[in-house]
Amino acid sequence: MGVDLRDIVEKKEIELKELFGKTIAIDAYNTLYQFLSIIRQPDGTPLMDSQGNITSHLSGLLYRTTNLVEAGIKPIFVFDGEPPDFKARTIKERAETRGIAERRWIMARALGEEDAFKYAQASSKVDAQMIEGAKTLLGYMGVPCIQAPSEGEAQAAFMVINGDADAVGSQDYDALLFGAPKLVRNLTITGRRKLPGKSIYVDVKPEMLELSTMLDALDITSEQLIDIAILIGTDYNEGIKGIGPKTALKLIQKHGTIEGALAELNEGIENFDVIREFFLCPEVTSAYEIEWQKLKEDLVRKFLCDQHDFSVDRVDKALERLSEASAQKQKTLDQWSP
Amino acid sequence: MVFRAVIDADVLKNSIEAISTLVDEATFKLSPGGISLKAVDPANVAMVSFELTSDAFDSYESTEGEIGLDLLKLVDVLGMADRSDNVGLELNETTHKLTITMRGLSYTLSLLDPSSIRKEPKVPSLDLPARVTLNGNELRRAVKAAEKVSDHMALGVDGDVFFMEAKGDTDQVRLELAKDELIHLEASGPARSLFSLDYLSDMSKALGKVNEITVCLGKDYPIKIDFMMADGKGKVGYLLAPRIESE
Repeated sequence: MGVDLRDIVEKKEIELKELFGKTIAIDAYNTLYQFLSIIRQPDGTPLMDSQGNITSHLSGLLYRTTNLVEAGIKPIFVFDGEPPDFKARTIKERAETRGIAERRWIMARALGEEDAFKYAQASSKVDAQMIEGAKTLLGYMGVPCIQAPSEGEAQAAFMVINGDADAVGSQDYDALLFGAPKLVRNLTITGRRKLPGKSIYVDVKPEMLELSTMLDALDITSEQLIDIAILIGTDYNEGIKGIGPKTALKLIQKHGTIEGALAELNEGIENFDVIREFFLCPEVTSAYEIEWQKLKEDLVRKFLCDQHDFSVDRVDKALERLSEASAQKQKTLDQWSP
Repeated sequence: MVFRAVIDADVLKNSIEAISTLVDEATFKLSPGGISLKAVDPANVAMVSFELTSDAFDSYESTEGEIGLDLLKLVDVLGMADRSDNVGLELNETTHKLTITMRGLSYTLSLLDPSSIRKEPKVPSLDLPARVTLNGNELRRAVKAAEKVSDHMALGVDGDVFFMEAKGDTDQVRLELAKDELIHLEASGPARSLFSLDYLSDMSKALGKVNEITVCLGKDYPIKIDFMMADGKGKVGYLLAPRIESE
């Protein structure tokens, strides 16, 4: 999901502690999806409570957010609002893909096949109930939740542009298209990770991407970056077959705009001007309030342990870490910097 | 770019250690007048600025430039030198390496690409009302005492008294030094700020070796600690952000 700019972006591996004291506007939907996709049993079954409700996302939120807060990071979760009309087709196609993956998963699991986990991941769906559960838990944890009018990444980018956050946190590159000056990837999945299907572990570190550095390196404008994305394919359009980031970059560097590139390819993209305009001026709101509240340990325990069958011991351990970390009172030199 | 110098091992060791308590990697600025550096720790809580003029060296030759160094490796290598040794430093620009020689030993250390090291920070200009000059060992002693009861300590000036105070869950410790026990004290108003002992403890290792340090303080403001080294030919300055006083 999201536009695949991997091959052309300039990224820098950083240590989690370099984000100490930084406010990160996290794309909530993207993060929940990551949790849902990763936090599963080996046969692909997600974590569930005794009622059969999926709890992978709640587990991820509790433990991973605690890790972030412990590293001195101030997370804000930004939730999606209404998607733009022209995303309808993508949303429909994704639902179909998920449906197929789910059927394959059930079959693979029944046969005990190794592919089960992969299909299960592809069938991950963040539903309304999970979003509600996530908001409830974050609220009890004292972490601010912001409701975007439209795309969460656009709102998160806007908050960084506004100076209310230092970077967007998301796995997708789309925040850069929405103008986010800084994007952090791998934030919520940092640590040792097992490679899928292999018994090899890799160290996943956060990556920092700076929009201006990247545009300078590629010698393009932010408008041209959007045109490149539209050529490759975004959440709102399919992209031209056979055009990857490198080819798209060359085409835009040669022609300056998508119109010229499309003419050379003798191709067309429906609504490309609408999509471009949406990246440039997405619907965002400045009516948001960022407030870190006190951790409500009792409510977290009640919600996770009583309602969703989490282990009291493990939750208490996380709560202890979280409460100690929230008491973090070390200031940074930022506020005195000239 | 040319850089070729000989320096007393002790001076070099103290210099690098004063910096490496805060950062593992750093970019040094080289110029005909000497070497300098400004660096901030990864969490942006503490900053160090450092200057060593060319006359602190036994011999010195340099053009304008910058080099990135892995300080932990450098400290490790310098551990092989005796106090009285002379250490030779020579940059090879084409191989991108620094050769360090001491009594027959010759180390070749790969340089780091300065663009991979965090950028040089902008140094805040602070107007701090209290200024105290004292023996560095006094501060080190206060830090050691505070560590026994807490992970943070307050430093401040109240009238003619410089005080340090640490409160733990159950125990507390306070140290007071009156004006006549200090080298110098001047304050245009009361000052008190709280600091993490993690940082102060690291810094105080370098401070403990110095006869005279100058400490500037404000109210819930960063602390500034400056001292000279190499008979006044070198200068080190620390800046440490405060903690918020708990309710």
